[in-house]
Amino acid sequence: MIALETRSLCKSFGSLAVTQDVSLAFEVGWRYAIIGPNGAGKTTYFNLLAGNLRPDAGSILFSGRDITRLDVTSRARVGIARSFQRNNLFPDFTVRDNLALACALRAGTARVFWRPMRQLTSAHAEADDLAAQVGLTEVLGTAVRHLSYGSQRQLEVALALACKPQVLLLDEPTSGMSPEETSRMRVLIADIPRTLTVIVVEHDMDIVLDFADRIIVLDYGRVLEQGTPAEIRASEVVRERYLGKSALGYSGGHAP
Amino acid sequence: MASRAFVRRSIGLALIVGAVVAQSFAGFFTQELIAEAAILAIFALSLDLLATCGLISFGHAGLLGIGCYVFAGLTVLAGGSPNLAFPVAIVSGGAVAFMVGLFAVRTTGAFFIMVTLAVAEMLYAWGFRSKMFNGADGMGGIPRIDLTAVGIDLNNPGTFALTVIVVCAVIWLLLELVVASPFGRTLAAIRQNPSRVAALGGHVYFYRLAAFTASGMVAALAGAFKVQHINFISPDLVSWFVSGDVLIAVVIGGIGTLVGGPLGATLLVLLKETLSSNLGHWYLFLGMIFAFVALLMPKGIVGYLLDLNDRLAARKRPSECRQTERAT
Repeated sequence: MIALETRSLCKSFGSLAVTQDVSLAFEVGWRYAIIGPNGAGKTTYFNLLAGNLRPDAGSILFSGRDITRLDVTSRARVGIARSFQRNNLFPDFTVRDNLALACALRAGTARVFWRPMRQLTSAHAEADDLAAQVGLTEVLGTAVRHLSYGSQRQLEVALALACKPQVLLLDEPTSGMSPEETSRMRVLIADIPRTLTVIVVEHDMDIVLDFADRIIVLDYGRVLEQGTPAEIRASEVVRERYLGKSALGYSGGHAP
Repeated sequence: MASRAFVRRSIGLALIVGAVVAQSFAGFFTQELIAEAAILAIFALSLDLLATCGLISFGHAGLLGIGCYVFAGLTVLAGGSPNLAFPVAIVSGGAVAFMVGLFAVRTTGAFFIMVTLAVAEMLYAWGFRSKMFNGADGMGGIPRIDLTAVGIDLNNPGTFALTVIVVCAVIWLLLELVVASPFGRTLAAIRQNPSRVAALGGHVYFYRLAAFTASGMVAALAGAFKVQHINFISPDLVSWFVSGDVLIAVVIGGIGTLVGGPLGATLLVLLKETLSSNLGHWYLFLGMIFAFVALLMPKGIVGYLLDLNDRLAARKRPSECRQTERAT
């Protein structure tokens, strides 16, 4: 079963074609990693998937339904949630308030204006569970602007999880993290239930090779290669264009 | 240490009690001042409700003006009952805000300020030329709501002032409930980060439109009280000076605190009165005082007090930790 699919997706900024004819299908429950050099169009592709950008051509299908014209809000409501490369939170709220609000927005109880927020017990219970899931229980009552960078990254993922999505898009979840925080994030991502389809943009090859069922390599906005980690490791094209000849223990003298 | 909500509500309660007590001892002139302050306080609450979702209007006098013109038109021109005109004025304010909001809340920041200012100036221009309402000269003879059936005579200045204070207090309490509700928290989330609310599946546009509509209803209510209070209507009530005054009241009191608006409104009315009766270029001194307050307390008086409260709480916490360490 295919959860999310793009067909001949194109996007240009002026004369710069950032996404060129990208056709990909994402199977339900699988883990995908999108890699590629800087400027390969990874984040643009993500923004097209999440609805932050409109494609110039091509279509996006979610469970077979055409969602190309839906905006960010509507895509979140059908079940595509994303985290952001840079922390994109509610800084004045506590961790619990951030999560409870996200749960209320998803559950449709956020428009209630005649009862206090604290009476939304299910949203708060869910918030506490999410915090436990990502390891933020100890800082539940802390305002987000006082949180460490790593904890903010964890909350970034937790907010996306609060949408109870079918497809989860994580944009560089470990960027800027310390090695310790990175390993915690690895565990967190590995623990995401298999009912969700997860697509990650990531630079850390250790994480990518460890986590992904399939890896997609973008280069100049095109799909350069896709396959299992082993296939990508073995791919001549990828090695030449992206990983470099010395990467991944490869030492053979291959002259072009 | 007291929570932020507790501090805000204490200030609000103190203001209400202060206004009621002052009103009961006051003579005619002070009663008129108190009524003026209470009406401006309601108006300020409506502006601050909108600020909760991060929108600053510089044309709020337009929505106040809808209340003024609808109430005056229905009572004086159409000869209708003021008791009926009052709710109609409030609903009209909401309806106009909704229609303006349909396109205005698509913008934010400076663009929203310009759109709201433009719409208010349109109403001003219309009022200025309106033959019906006697144009720039204005029109008098606007009646007050008739509550003699329940033993309340609003033509008595003290009773009128007290009634406006009570209405202001009720609106404040209602808005306190709204900002603590999931809806109000979503508005606060939109103020902090609208794009994330959208990414979480929240319809930012509809929340802003709802806030603008509710704000329009409260502003029109203040307008309907305004024309009853001065028994007179002129386009001056819709001028951008009025929008500026209420914005100053909210900013000085503390934007996003609800109670800051009424506090700022009270200070503005009292200062205007004191300065204008004692000084020549009193607006100059008023400006200097407000510039000084803004420099000293960028988050307004209530915002400053809330931060002070937080700092005191933070200072207290480490000492508590030390005590528990010693105990164990």
